[in-house]
Amino acid sequence: MTTPQSTTPTATSDQDEPRLSVSGVTLRFGGLVALDDVSFDVHAGELFAIIGPNGAGKTSIFNCLNQVYKPQEGDIRLDGEQVMGKKPAKTAAMGMARTFQNLGLFVRLNVVDNLMLGRHHLMRTGFLAGMLWVGKAKREEIANRRRVEEIIELLELQQHRYQPVGLLPYGIQKRIELGRALAMEPRVLLLDEPVAGMNLEETEDMARYILEIRNELGITQIMVEHDMHLVMDIADRVMAIDFGREIATGSPEEVQNDEKVIEAYLGQET
Amino acid sequence: MRPRRLSSMKTSYAHDLRLFPTAWKRIGLVLLLAVVVLVPLYVKDVFWLNLLVIAGIYAVAAIGLNLLTGYAGQVSLGTAFFIGLGGYTVVWFADPTRWGWPLWGWLPMAALIGALVGAAVGPIALRVRGQYLVIVTLGLVVVGQYLFRNTESVTGGNNATIEATHNLVAIGPVNFADLQLFGFVFKKEAGFVYLAWIVVLITALIAKNLVRTRPGRAIQAIRDRDVAAEVIGVSLVRYKIGAFAVSSAMAAVAGALLASYTRFISVDSLDIFLSIQFLAIIIVGGVGTIYGAVLGAVALQAIPEFINRFSDSLPYVATGTGESGISVASLNSAIFGILIIVFLIFFPHGLAALWERTKAFFQRWPYRT
Ligand SMILES: Nc1ncnc2c1ncn2[C@@H]1O[C@H](COP(=O)(O)OP(=O)(O)OP(=O)(O)O)[C@@H](O)[C@H]1O
Ligand SMILES: [Mg+2]
Repeated sequence: MTTPQSTTPTATSDQDEPRLSVSGVTLRFGGLVALDDVSFDVHAGELFAIIGPNGAGKTSIFNCLNQVYKPQEGDIRLDGEQVMGKKPAKTAAMGMARTFQNLGLFVRLNVVDNLMLGRHHLMRTGFLAGMLWVGKAKREEIANRRRVEEIIELLELQQHRYQPVGLLPYGIQKRIELGRALAMEPRVLLLDEPVAGMNLEETEDMARYILEIRNELGITQIMVEHDMHLVMDIADRVMAIDFGREIATGSPEEVQNDEKVIEAYLGQET
Repeated sequence: MRPRRLSSMKTSYAHDLRLFPTAWKRIGLVLLLAVVVLVPLYVKDVFWLNLLVIAGIYAVAAIGLNLLTGYAGQVSLGTAFFIGLGGYTVVWFADPTRWGWPLWGWLPMAALIGALVGAAVGPIALRVRGQYLVIVTLGLVVVGQYLFRNTESVTGGNNATIEATHNLVAIGPVNFADLQLFGFVFKKEAGFVYLAWIVVLITALIAKNLVRTRPGRAIQAIRDRDVAAEVIGVSLVRYKIGAFAVSSAMAAVAGALLASYTRFISVDSLDIFLSIQFLAIIIVGGVGTIYGAVLGAVALQAIPEFINRFSDSLPYVATGTGESGISVASLNSAIFGILIIVFLIFFPHGLAALWERTKAFFQRWPYRT
C-alpha cells in the first residue's frame, strides 16, 4: 500500500491506449474563451511539451487536467479513467501531479515536510492515529520518509533538508516543487515553466533532472515552457497553442518550422 | 562551522522522529518538570500554587488555539465558548447531584463534546476566512453566553456551582484535591498543580504528534497554500474541520479542569476578553510552536496575578471598591492589549523565538557572528 515504488512504464510505444487523452476541451470565463476545442494524446513515458505565447492558455490546460478549472466541454481520460468532474484532490490520487508557474510550495514547512506532503494521498494516518502516534502511524511515517529521502538524493537537496522552503533561493524552490510532485508517484507529471527565471546553470541542472525522470523513472511528463532551446533539446513531441487553440503538434523540428507557429511568435515579438 | 550541525549530514529517520531531538529541548523539559514537581512539595504559599494551576490549565487551551491559529492558520476568538462548554460538562456529568461521574469519565467527555461541537461549527471556517472568521467566532462567544444563561436546567445558569465531592478529581486512590504521597500531605492547590500539568504534558504530546504526522502536515499545507494543498490531494473540508475539532476539544478540557478547580462558573467571565487573553498568550508565546503556548500561558498568567497581589503598592491602581484609580481588571485588559500590539510589531515570533535566539547565541559562543 505505502511501500515505495516508482512507476515503471509498461508501454512506451503508441499502439497502446495513450496514458493521457484530452479531446475537445473548451474552457470559458464568461465571454472569454481560454481554451477552444483542445485535443491531444500523451503516451506513457513520453516527454510532451506545450508551447505558446503569453496568455495562450497553457496553464489553463493544466488547471483543467487536475480540475481546478472545470471546462464546459470535452473529455479527459487518464489511462482510460474519466478525469472530468472529479475534485482536484481526487485527481491527485489518480496520479496527476503538477508544479506551479509561480511556485506552490508550503513556504513555512521544510523540504522534508513538503515532500512528505506529496505522499499525502498514498498515506492513511488520520487525526486520531497521528495524535496517539500508534504503531501504524509510525511505520507509515518511516516507510514514506525512506522514499522521500531517495527523491531528496536524486534532486540533490540533502543540504537543505530542514530549512523552511520559503527561505531558499528560487532555483532550489523550483527543484523542491519538482521533488514534491515526484513524491506523489505520479502517472503524469505536469511541469509549468520549470526553468522560468533561472540562469543557465540552473536551467541545465533542471534539464538533467527532467531527463533523468524520463529515462530512469520512466515517468510521463508534460512540460509548459517558454525556453525554446530547452523544449527543442529534450521534448519528444511538442504542441503549440495560440489564443486557446491548438495550431501545431509534432516533433520539435516540425513544430519549430510550422508557419502558424512562427507567425504566432512573430506577432508577439512586435 | 561545527561539523555536528551540518544539516547535509545523513541522519536516521528514527532519530528525526524523536520528540526531543536536541539536548536543549531535553534540558528545557527537565527544567519544566522540575518546577512543577518540586514547587508543590516545597512551596506552601497558595499564591504561587494557584498561579501554576491556572497557568497549566490555560496552557492546555492555548496549545489547542495555537494548533488552530498557528498551524492551521485560522484565527479564532471562540476559545471562551469552548472553555464554557467544558465547564458545563463538569456541571452536568460530574456534579454529585446530577450524574456524579469521576475524573476519568468527565474529562474525556469534555474533550468529546468539545470536538463534536467544534466539528459542527467548523464548516463556518470553510465559508469564511481571515477577519471574517474572527467576527464569526466572536459571534459564537456572544451566542454561547446567551445559551449558557438561558438553559439553566443544564448549565446551572448565570453562576453555576459544583458541589464539593470526594471523588470529583480522583483517579482510583489518587485524589488530586486531597493528595498524600510519600508522607507529604498536599493542599488542594498543590494537588491540582500535578493534575493540571499532567494534562499539559499529555496535550503537548498529542499536539506534537499531530504536527509531525500526516494530518498535522496537511493543516499546515492549507495554511501556507490552499490551492496547492488541494492539488496534491489534501481535502480542505476534512482538515479545516479537523483542526477546529481538535482545538475545541483542548479548550473544553481546559474549561473542565478550570471548573473542577474553582467549582464555580460565571457566564459573565466567558466573554470575549477571555478569548482575547488566549490570543495574547499564543502571540506572546510564539505562534506556531507548541512550547510557545506553554511559555505564553505562564508569562501571561503571572502578570495579572502579580498585579492583583501587589495592587496595594502600585500607584493609580484601585484596590477596593470606591477607591479612585484604574481597577485591577481594566489594568489587566490594557496590559494584554499592549502586549499583543508590542509583540506583533517587535517580536512577531514571540518568546519562543527569543529563546531560540538566546540558544543560538550560546551555541556559537565564544564566536561572534
Ligand atoms: N481564473 C481565471 N479567470 C479569468 N480568466 C482567466 C483565468 N485564468 C486564466 N484566464 C485567462 O485565460 C487565458 C489563458 O491564461 P493562461 O494562464 O492559461 O495562459 P498561459 O498560456 O499560461 O500564459 P503565460 O505564458 O503568461 O503563463 C488568459 O487570457 C487569462 O487571462
Ligand atoms: Mg502560464
